Amino acid sequence: MLTLATVLIIVGCGKKKSTTGEKEPEGTKPAYASKGDEGTITGKISFDGAAPELKKIDMSQDANCAGSAGDKTADDLLVADGKLANVFVYIKGGPVDKFSFPTPSDPVVLDQQGCRYHPRVFGIQVNQPFKVTNSDNTTHNIHPSPKTNPEWNKMQAPGQPAIEEKFHRPETLIPVKCNQHPWMKASIGVLAHPYFAVSAKDGTYTIKNVPPGTYTLVFWHETKGEQTQQVTIAAKESKTQDITYKAAATAGATSMQIAPTLLLP
Amino acid sequence: MYRTGNYPLRNADLIDQKDRPVNDTPTRGVHRLAIILCCITVALLVAGALVTSNEAGDSVPDWPLSFGRWLIRSNNFIANVRYEYSHRFIAGVVGFTTLALAIWTYFAERRNWMRRLGLIAFAGVIAQAVIGGMRVWFPEYKALIAVPHALVAQSFFAVAVSIVVFTSRSWWSPRQIKSDDKSLPLRTLTGVTVLAVLIQLVLGAGFRHQAFGIAPHIAGAVIVTALIATTVITVLRRHRRDGYLARPAKFAIALLIIQLGLGIGAYLARLASAGDPQPLEPMISLTVAHLVVGAMTLAMMVTLMLRSHQVLSPARQAVSEAIESRKVHSAASGSAV
Repeated sequence: MLTLATVLIIVGCGKKKSTTGEKEPEGTKPAYASKGDEGTITGKISFDGAAPELKKIDMSQDANCAGSAGDKTADDLLVADGKLANVFVYIKGGPVDKFSFPTPSDPVVLDQQGCRYHPRVFGIQVNQPFKVTNSDNTTHNIHPSPKTNPEWNKMQAPGQPAIEEKFHRPETLIPVKCNQHPWMKASIGVLAHPYFAVSAKDGTYTIKNVPPGTYTLVFWHETKGEQTQQVTIAAKESKTQDITYKAAATAGATSMQIAPTLLLP
Repeated sequence: MYRTGNYPLRNADLIDQKDRPVNDTPTRGVHRLAIILCCITVALLVAGALVTSNEAGDSVPDWPLSFGRWLIRSNNFIANVRYEYSHRFIAGVVGFTTLALAIWTYFAERRNWMRRLGLIAFAGVIAQAVIGGMRVWFPEYKALIAVPHALVAQSFFAVAVSIVVFTSRSWWSPRQIKSDDKSLPLRTLTGVTVLAVLIQLVLGAGFRHQAFGIAPHIAGAVIVTALIATTVITVLRRHRRDGYLARPAKFAIALLIIQLGLGIGAYLARLASAGDPQPLEPMISLTVAHLVVGAMTLAMMVTLMLRSHQVLSPARQAVSEAIESRKVHSAASGSAV
């Protein structure tokens, strides 16, 4: 009975999921036509507090990983000289919600090297080709866990051709994991427009060609959470938007929370 | 000769076999196989807990095959695949053992309900395999599927333990029927406690699989602790000298104390490891031990519940059974004369 009930629920939910997961029509949004007056948003992301000690990753359970070249420390919180890397920065609201933007045909590539994902945090546009390559001498599985896009989990042995996928709906951010090597994690920001960036090791970021207008500028970090700023870009304006993350900040509630949270679909 | 003593027989099935020595019951082999099944099931529970604790649930993306094979290549047996594949392999062993037990029970047992119980166990293991497969096929419904998977796992273990109890020599031995207390009947209390322990194990699974927060599991721990403590105190007050009831009660309270310590330890270890890049010790071992001791607690409470139902009469029946007892005793005395 329990099995039957589970099957029925899954089938019911699965139908809904597959409908929403299919490629969405562009709708009635007009295509954005550049007037040549776009601006730029730049900034630096600072980290207020002592840089955390980088935790060592134990790769001993796979000799190919343990023996590979490259860093063996956690890279979820990279702070250098008080600047924070791997912050995903993007705009929402304003003109970008009113127009559609062309989808790039060049793929975004996620490589598995040294049993790590490269890059750890990155953005991609809706329906832009997404390629996953394996440069390691071991098998990985690539498992994004989106909430609005269809979830998939694929194995990739050494030397296998790249896995090619697309994300059909905007979603920030999709966690990606290798279930064989649980320290391998990445985050993908899927947006309907190209106005996003990821902070470099020196904490800097740049979002170019932003249509004039008022936006919410969103800063997202995997462990330190999300912050927002309001920003107005005038024609051909270059604006600097710096932000600081406190060392004590966290990404919010987790499964350790005391209050019950139902995460079922 | 068959040993009846001065006590009425509680087990109706025993009457069918009154001409046979207890030691020669056809369920001895079934009993041994059921014990083996319980041991393998505990190993399976450990393997399943290791899968969850190491976040290895999706490390083999296909099912029922693993990387397209029944037996995977040695170079694939690495990292988290070791946990997931071991879980699948042991599950297969449990499946075949349960099938053998169901067949043996069907042909060797005279008790129809025991035959049905064997078939229920086999149906349970099949259902569990299907749910496990769905967990692989539909990773987006991880919590929705993983929680029933845990429920069926513990329920299956309870059924396997029941088969051990029903086929044990102690179950077949004639025992004195006692009257259950009307104010707080042990038959009811043990039943409620078993249900509460089962629900608590499911709440624990919900927490581990991130379907719920920790609060329901903590609330469940308080309720289960109160219920087990009440049950054990009641058993020891009323039946201290009857090892048949007192022994599982003592084991249950000992396991409860260990379980509470493991639960607190596992939670603290999980909190401390929240920033770790991967699941590490001691969080893994504490969580696995917490799950297994939880299952053992369930096994003890199931044993106590079944034995309570066997040797305790509901208060209303007690009077009529006492009369029946006198009749049987008189008849036995008369025939002996």
